[in-house]
Amino acid sequence: MTGKTKIIELSDKGIQFPPPHSERMTVFKSELDPITFEVLRNAFVNIVDQMAEQLLRTCYSFVIYCRDFSSGLSDPQGNLVMQGTGDIAAHVGTLHYTCKAVIEDFGDDVHPGDVFIINDPFRGGSHFNDTRILRPMFYKGEMIGWSQANGHWADMGGATPGSFNITALDHMGEGLRITPMRVWSKGVWLGDVARMIASNTRNPSDVIGDMQAQAEATAVAEREIQRLCDKYGVETIKTAFREVQDWVEVLMRNRLAELPDGTWYAEDYIDQDPKLEEGLIPIKIKFTIDGNHAHYDLSGSHPQISTFLNAAYGGSFAGIVAGTKYQFPDLPLNSGLYRAVTVNVGEPGTVVNAEWPSPCAGFCSGPFEKLMNSVFGLWAEILPERTMGCAFNLEYLLVGGRDTRFEGRPYFMWYDWMAGGWGGRNGRDGFNATAPVFGAQYGVQPLEGQERLAPVLTKCHDFVQDSAGPGESRGGLGAEKGGSVFEGERIVVSYCCDRERSVTWGMWGGLPSIPHGVWLNKGTEKERYLGSIFSNLPIELDDVFTRPSAGGGGVGDPLLRDPELVCEDVTEEYVSVERARIDYGVVIRVVDRDLALYEVDEAATIAERKRIADARLGWLDADPEIIAAGYRSGEFNVMDCVRQYGVILDWGNGQLLANTTRQFREMMQRRAVPYWGRTLAVLSQEATERVRVAA
Amino acid sequence: MSMDGADVGSTPKRARTRLAIDVGGTFTDVFVLDSNGNQTVAKVPSTANPIDAIMNGAEAADIDWHDVDLFTHGTTVATNALITRNFKPVAMVTTEGFRDILEIGRGTREDPWDAYKEGTPPYVRRRDRFTVRERLNYRGEVIEALDEEQAREVARILHKRKVHAVAVCFINAYVSGVHEQRMAEILAEVLGPDVAISTSHETHPEIFEDDRFSTTVANTILAPIIRPYARDLDRRTSEAGYEADVLLLHSGGGVMTPATAEKYAARLAASGIAAGAIASKYFAELCGYQNSIGLDMGGTSADISLAENGHLRMTNKWEVDWGHPICFPSIEVLTIGAGGGSISWLDKAGSLRNGPQSAGSTPGPACYKAGGTEPTNTDANIILGRIGTSLAGGKKSLNRDAALEAMGKIAKPLNLDLVEASLATLRVANANMADAVRLISIARGHDPRDFALVAFGGAGPLHGVDIARELNIPVVIVPPNPGVTSAVGCMLVDVQHDVTQMFFKDAALADPADIETAFRKLELEGRDRLERDGVAAKDMTFQRFVDMRYRGQWRSLAVPVPGQVKSMDEALAIFHNEYEKAHNFRREDFPVEIYRLTVRAIGITPKPSFPKVVIDKNAKAVPKGTREAWFHGHAKAMTTNLYDRENLPAGVTINGPAVIDQLDSTTVIPPGDVAYIDEWLNIQIKLGAA
Repeated sequence: MTGKTKIIELSDKGIQFPPPHSERMTVFKSELDPITFEVLRNAFVNIVDQMAEQLLRTCYSFVIYCRDFSSGLSDPQGNLVMQGTGDIAAHVGTLHYTCKAVIEDFGDDVHPGDVFIINDPFRGGSHFNDTRILRPMFYKGEMIGWSQANGHWADMGGATPGSFNITALDHMGEGLRITPMRVWSKGVWLGDVARMIASNTRNPSDVIGDMQAQAEATAVAEREIQRLCDKYGVETIKTAFREVQDWVEVLMRNRLAELPDGTWYAEDYIDQDPKLEEGLIPIKIKFTIDGNHAHYDLSGSHPQISTFLNAAYGGSFAGIVAGTKYQFPDLPLNSGLYRAVTVNVGEPGTVVNAEWPSPCAGFCSGPFEKLMNSVFGLWAEILPERTMGCAFNLEYLLVGGRDTRFEGRPYFMWYDWMAGGWGGRNGRDGFNATAPVFGAQYGVQPLEGQERLAPVLTKCHDFVQDSAGPGESRGGLGAEKGGSVFEGERIVVSYCCDRERSVTWGMWGGLPSIPHGVWLNKGTEKERYLGSIFSNLPIELDDVFTRPSAGGGGVGDPLLRDPELVCEDVTEEYVSVERARIDYGVVIRVVDRDLALYEVDEAATIAERKRIADARLGWLDADPEIIAAGYRSGEFNVMDCVRQYGVILDWGNGQLLANTTRQFREMMQRRAVPYWGRTLAVLSQEATERVRVAA
Repeated sequence: MSMDGADVGSTPKRARTRLAIDVGGTFTDVFVLDSNGNQTVAKVPSTANPIDAIMNGAEAADIDWHDVDLFTHGTTVATNALITRNFKPVAMVTTEGFRDILEIGRGTREDPWDAYKEGTPPYVRRRDRFTVRERLNYRGEVIEALDEEQAREVARILHKRKVHAVAVCFINAYVSGVHEQRMAEILAEVLGPDVAISTSHETHPEIFEDDRFSTTVANTILAPIIRPYARDLDRRTSEAGYEADVLLLHSGGGVMTPATAEKYAARLAASGIAAGAIASKYFAELCGYQNSIGLDMGGTSADISLAENGHLRMTNKWEVDWGHPICFPSIEVLTIGAGGGSISWLDKAGSLRNGPQSAGSTPGPACYKAGGTEPTNTDANIILGRIGTSLAGGKKSLNRDAALEAMGKIAKPLNLDLVEASLATLRVANANMADAVRLISIARGHDPRDFALVAFGGAGPLHGVDIARELNIPVVIVPPNPGVTSAVGCMLVDVQHDVTQMFFKDAALADPADIETAFRKLELEGRDRLERDGVAAKDMTFQRFVDMRYRGQWRSLAVPVPGQVKSMDEALAIFHNEYEKAHNFRREDFPVEIYRLTVRAIGITPKPSFPKVVIDKNAKAVPKGTREAWFHGHAKAMTTNLYDRENLPAGVTINGPAVIDQLDSTTVIPPGDVAYIDEWLNIQIKLGAA
């Protein structure tokens, strides 16, 4: 330990303001020679990637194994120096907060061989499952920074296997909250502390294993930093820690300075608060570029809600930063970026700045995803060449119970997440069935592995035809996955998702895709619609559960999509002959289905497109009760309701959700209608022109 | 063009010959070793039909095919077909409900942050993927019978579509192939013998449907390419007078016969890359190093491999395109975008970067004067006097002024002079490569200080010592013909098959007798395959591996076991030790589970023996001249001795600074380091030995 009293920079808790011009760093000049700087910068990237490699090879949680983790290096103040290149998006922008929380609580009481643990969303964490292990790094007795390994543990206790408890009234019902504490003291393993944590989860031995695997990953970083200190001198490393942040700030400010000043607005929605009257829950962003600075203001977003789809400030900050990073994929993530891009999450007590003790395990399916996709939408106006429409929503289906295949009937947990469609892009379609934007490295699990581990038989894992949001560039296709439990008892199902009502939207004239939501025994007498959030619902052995993941939202007017591309989509059976006509106005003739030969009926297509273009504005004003009745009678299906009429129903019983429909139609009037009739080439030309004028 | 390498001794007529040819994207490399120990190398341009280049190469090396005992061959035919997607469409039949497993895969993206970086489509289009009703559970029990009527309907459509090949990929087929087998029979009945049908349980009987399907499909699309290729090669070499089997190098670092290659075509997917790694290990061992890191650096990229205790690191997952894995065991090679043509540039904050953009071979570095204007590593090397203005024996001339002008682009903003900017360029490039080596070494528990670096490829010997210094590697080995080292690798391998079986069992509960039974069965299968390759029983050996992990973990570790597992305690002790070595910690008291058993069946082929040269104690190295060159840590240019490698006799020692030229490469020995020409004519450079 240093013996000196540290000056502690207190966490800003997500309330930030653009700094005055005088405090913005715009010129980067290294005190080191430029080569040493570049070598060390790369070395820091290399170290965090070595941490990732170590964790991947030793972890126990399959969620970590599927890459829901992150690794970071911080300076002694907790500011982030470097983050792993393959880290999950939902953790970015939170590692410095949790590091600062440990520093705030322990101050100088930090020693070589200490290891700390924290998972507290009210101290900048994301949700309880994301448990962070931090190690102070020492060189010859001097404390020079922190390494942090953050991984999603499969279960953190609480009332629901997997710790996604939609019925939790507060965080106490979700799982174990770990405020900053020590798990190793001066190199000595604090078994009592670790056992207490592990014993509050459903798989204590895995938890101990992950704790050790993460601690070892942080040790890898300390060892490598010490090696660099040996080689370059400790002062050089300390300087480089600071300068890598300065460098990113300058890089980002110089990019921003090239963009026009202006203010843009976005609004996206969480489906509902079941305790309130039906209606979408708005999340608002005011985005400003002022010279070389970007600022996001989330003030005016809806008050926190009764379900767990709330985000504390860490989770909201993460969504903004992750969405912004998509515009600058080559930019490293560290606290330098967080000086050039600031966020004010707004007044406490909202759905994006939830206060203690609100539940927020579902931040990732709720506000995080809405913020990230809104940021995509905002930037399309500024960098139209990087436009991407809305992606499907992160979702978790958890089936738990007792596994009767084995003696002692152990707990089983089938914890499943899906790939889905990403939004259409400028001149290119969206990606089919891809991991969520929450983390594009977050791979789906092979079902053959799942069937050995849990008694769940998967009955399908396939694309959903027509699930892509129609557009001149269509979204990517969503998928479907479902099954049943073949040997087990006391089976319950939980689901953490969103966007059954705030359906994955289209932009620039593109149309929405399809709603999320779980179905039981679909297409049978026992069919039940379970929706997009529920917990601990008992099911029986022969019940078949299934759900789609949404496709990506369309971008551009679907009536302007090249008919040959539509024909190609029909040939691949991405799009049906029927929906080609309804969504795109393209009439396809089947030449020979055996040979997969189809062709466009050009004359009929011209006529059909004109018919739709003349009628579609009126469809968005059609009496929604009539559409709802049509859905109940089978005249309309869910795609007709959402895409052509903008009508949102309870998809189980077909009852109209009048408030939600009104809001959804307003959104389509904003995102789709004004753009109809103009091609993407024209629209992006116009956007570029606006940007030029503003600049 | 033909060039004589290190010819040793006189050349009598009609010596028996070992021939190795490595076909790369640009050049086809030939290496010949005859029974008198004479070595010949040749390099010819690759051709549209790679077999033409093989025949040209043999001619350039003055080969009479009648004299060739054994011809081994590394090829990029399979790799190129996958990269360029140049193959005939094939069809796939899979379990109903799982048509899109192949396209979904794990759903991940190579660059998680760039939505405009395209992925690649699956190898089989959706329109060519068919499903039938059938299902086995994880125990291999039938829970839904194969719908034969539907199977016949699929066969009818495939027949109508005139498909060339079909992959049959069913869920849980790694436990039982009963349904895949039946489906294949039905297809064969309808489609006839000319349509190749492969099944996932035969191709790759391992768990995880996406990996197995992808591997099977890759194998299916490559079969129609490899089959005629192997047959043509066989025919043309036979016609030329070659009598034995052509041996093809596979990704796992063994060779196989054309007959086997037809069945496991996707094993050739990393054939070309494997050759360099094998050669690297070989030369290191020749010099007495069991631990080595191979650095094969060319114009645009560098391939890095690692051998520990004489074993090359292997991986079970390899891909040409992200998301489409081929899960046959492959030598692990890390490829990074750093080569002679990598461009030095400044980012928007004014910081110096290197690569991954490359000037490639066209336009090439600025000093080529072929249109390139950006400063590259080669330009830095020429400015610093490390390479001369005349390359490849005078066939290529380089322009130093053009290099200087290009370097000005970064020197000025950095406020450096042109020499400083060149030194900076190389430092950043070398540090990047050192970081890549760290990922494959330190990140996996290996300390580079215990390793030798084998530097080859055109640019490897130029950068090797600087990279080694960055990593504290004490010695660098430059093989005799750095530019054709990969071809040598083709000659150094045995016939090898890897036969695996999933084996899920708690290690504490596992019965060694069951493991023995399973191993014996795998060995029988391996023996069958070797017999089909014509390997005599006396030349067969079998190695056993048990994949284990702590219960609950996701990755397993392949642990070599010596012969019969007599007690589980013994196997567990090996596992705990290996695990700790790889990951720095162990959990002695924690349950361990067995995941998979592997038998590596090896058919030993006669290895060439490289002749030792008698060291003449009085031999001297005579410089052909001197040049001013700059090195790190030395402010001023240093007078640097220049040597021609062909004139360096074994046994001589050269103190840096020195530059050794040869036709296909240039070796730099910085000041303070000492080079020694050993009895195999390798250059061994000891760092800091002066």
